[in-house]
Amino acid sequence: MIATVPSFTDYRLPVTGYKILQVLACCLLCLCAFSCPAAAYDKNELAEINDMYKNGKYQEALDGYLKMTDAESANPYAFYNAGNAYFRLGKPGFAVLYYAKAFKLLPRNPDIRSNLDYALKQTGQALVPDGVPKSLHYLYYFLSDLELKALAIFFFWLACLAGALRALAGTALKEKLKTAPYTMSAACLFFLFWIGIRYSSPFTHGAVAAAPAALLSGPGEKFKACATLPEARLVKILDEADEEFYEIGLPGEGIKGWVKKTDLQKI
Amino acid sequence: MVSGESCDNGLKKERRINVMKFRNSLKNVFKFIFCPTLATIHSPLCHYSLPLAAFILAASFMSAQSAFAYLSISAQTDRTELTITENLYLTVTVSANSGSAPEPTIPPMSSFNAYSSGRSQSISIVNGKITTSVSFTYILTPRFVGRQTIPAISVYNGREKAMTPEIEINVTKSAPVKPPAAQSRPQQPARQNAADGAARQTAAKADIPIFLKAETDRKTAYPGQQINLIVRFYTAIPLTSNPQYLPPAYKNLIFEDLPPVRNGEIAIKGIRYSYSEIKTALFGLSPGPASVSPASVIAQVQSDEQIDPFDPNFFQKFFSMNGAQGATKEFRTSNLTLNILPLPEGAPASFTGATGKYTISSELDRKQTRQGEAVNLSVTVSGNGSLKTITAPKLSNLTNFKVFDTLSSLSISKSNDIISGKKVFTTVIVPRSEGHIRIPPVKFSFFDPEAQAYREIETAPLELKVEKGDADAKNFNFTQPGAQAVSATGSDIRYVSDKASAPLYANAARALGGVAWQVHILPAAALLLCLWFSNIQAFRLRNPQLFRFKGARAAADKDINRAEAELKAGRLKEAVSVLYDSFMEYLSGKTGKKVSALTTRQAGELIMERFPHTDGYYLEEIRSFWEQLEMVHFSPSSLTAQNAKDLITTYTVLIEMLEKEFKKK
Repeated sequence: MIATVPSFTDYRLPVTGYKILQVLACCLLCLCAFSCPAAAYDKNELAEINDMYKNGKYQEALDGYLKMTDAESANPYAFYNAGNAYFRLGKPGFAVLYYAKAFKLLPRNPDIRSNLDYALKQTGQALVPDGVPKSLHYLYYFLSDLELKALAIFFFWLACLAGALRALAGTALKEKLKTAPYTMSAACLFFLFWIGIRYSSPFTHGAVAAAPAALLSGPGEKFKACATLPEARLVKILDEADEEFYEIGLPGEGIKGWVKKTDLQKI
Repeated sequence: MVSGESCDNGLKKERRINVMKFRNSLKNVFKFIFCPTLATIHSPLCHYSLPLAAFILAASFMSAQSAFAYLSISAQTDRTELTITENLYLTVTVSANSGSAPEPTIPPMSSFNAYSSGRSQSISIVNGKITTSVSFTYILTPRFVGRQTIPAISVYNGREKAMTPEIEINVTKSAPVKPPAAQSRPQQPARQNAADGAARQTAAKADIPIFLKAETDRKTAYPGQQINLIVRFYTAIPLTSNPQYLPPAYKNLIFEDLPPVRNGEIAIKGIRYSYSEIKTALFGLSPGPASVSPASVIAQVQSDEQIDPFDPNFFQKFFSMNGAQGATKEFRTSNLTLNILPLPEGAPASFTGATGKYTISSELDRKQTRQGEAVNLSVTVSGNGSLKTITAPKLSNLTNFKVFDTLSSLSISKSNDIISGKKVFTTVIVPRSEGHIRIPPVKFSFFDPEAQAYREIETAPLELKVEKGDADAKNFNFTQPGAQAVSATGSDIRYVSDKASAPLYANAARALGGVAWQVHILPAAALLLCLWFSNIQAFRLRNPQLFRFKGARAAADKDINRAEAELKAGRLKEAVSVLYDSFMEYLSGKTGKKVSALTTRQAGELIMERFPHTDGYYLEEIRSFWEQLEMVHFSPSSLTAQNAKDLITTYTVLIEMLEKEFKKK
């Protein structure tokens, strides 16, 4: 039996299609170029700040770490170190806040997970909810929100490229690319779905009470206080349209109310 | 590391052993019930065989059940019925699958005074599995007549908790006691007399019917040297219940109870007192002052006082008395101060702080083994003194062995009010090489307080014959499953990170996520464009004639331009050829058939067939132009530049007209 070998022309794309794909590929490369790593913070300066922390000068160390977070808002280690300094200074609310920020950026880092869990336990909360297997929780929070978003975008681009390639390809190439666009689309949808369910996470859309805050029954001082939020309590922001108050929910307790925006810190 | 498979095997083996133990205990119980030997028939035990058998059966069942657990506890008393003046022995046994068993928690007992009477520990290491069983003995003195309950005793090892069931005890009234002499005290009569003398002094000061006195047998001692504390409760009037003893607190001292409670009578200044004596062994911890805080006794004393029902404190007085018209009173001793002396200079190198009189011996659990196989080396320190504080003697020069952690078991006896016993240190050693290996003597030093000198003793050397082991044994890696695990004493946050920058992928993700959403329209638009283009291509492939018809005019225009260019360049022949080919292509594109293969007449018919509304004039024009082209194309000698230019002009006009004509419907 003689196998039919596709001719060269079967793979060849029409000139116009080829140009379109060239443009798309260039765009993807440009995106990747935009995604080049940001300049690292000076290592020597960090070593000095860490020395301050080591010698118990937590406030000075904190100032340094906060400078780092301002300079590199995507550096989870800067947030983690700031959380440590806050913890040493006896400010569990801010410690949880900064650990949570670090966790949001790099949730699979064992140091960040450990310290966030430790700080939460100090305030009567837990990183892994009761009844949830630790491994499942780890998998669920394996990728950060930004990574999930980036992966969804990446697969969207790949799906479009594969679709375009398949539309313009010859018969043999078309056959080879039969499932590629669908696979890429499925991957894109999977990451979008993951982002969607993660949206309900307290670390994605929550806030920390940096000081004991009154939970009011309405968005105003005249409303009755129905609960007091302890320091470092993670809450879920339901609505932030009001100028002065957040509408928040406490899923564990099944209550919601309004809290002054100055009393909460968004993660 | 022990592999998972060997762990499983070990567990299975342990279960099999437990099941066998359970079967054996059942067998023994049934033998005991149904096949009593002659000895047992005639023994008083025979009367208790059934309840005892039931007890053993229950205990065996419980032990078999708990054998699978890490921790178990059982409690038993030497009897379930006693008089108010007697003592009860409670033995609490804690078993654990580890090197040490935790001490049980004795709950507060309102019906009994409890005194620790020592402990004995047994430890076994079989196939690397360590099992420890510790028996804690307590002496209980009942306080009230009637059915009393020993509450549940619990033990907790940090992971799990075990608990004994409650035990019911029946306490009856004592038989009338003859006014006898004090309980015989062959040991330490001097101390007895001294205590009596002190009591006489106390009683002489005032005619006190009840008082409590505490004293020690010595005021100075070396660290670890035994000091006996004697607390005596004297009473010359009847009590309505057994008094409750609240022991003192100790500073710079550790203590061991010396039960049982001894009772007696003594005459002081013509008053006959009954007394109860409680002894405690004390051991100084470090040189310097030590103290014993006041001990107290709470007793209910008969009162003849009548309560006035109109007294404003009627209820308070009423509830402070029991049914026998007794008033609750507390008696306290004074504070005692002791001096712990520093040990003299010149301690040997092997001295680790032991004080007392000791002997030492060592043994191996086997004389012969194979290379890589574990052997238990037991070093036993026996004697008088604070055995609890003795640390393991150092094993030196065991270069031919791999030495693992040492486990200790303790057995204490309190006979004659002297703390004695033995402490066994078991070390697992694994020979590295074969041959006759000598285990050198193990040295142990202690301070003898009586001689006020240090003594150094040592064990006899041991010899072990080691045969060549197999390949697996050479790589033997012993892990003590019951060895003391690292126990966390506290926790803290992890240290700061020294990473200066975010990970590459985090930055890339952030940048990619931060791109304006409009940018992401681009691939979608490109995809749509490609799909549209693909559809166009497919349609073109399906309808080639339609595209040729539409493209014929554009192609002709291009050809006219080319012909003009050729004309300008002076290549007349080429210009006409372009025109000829273009005209043929144009007509073919419009009619859908290859016109060059047809005659002018056939071409005219084809055009009429394809475009029936075409005027005959145009057909004539087509024919005329075709003939002109053929003429100059096939006889180029007559061709001039003017002719060529005219032909181009004619072709341009003709195409224009035909386009209009072909659109007629």
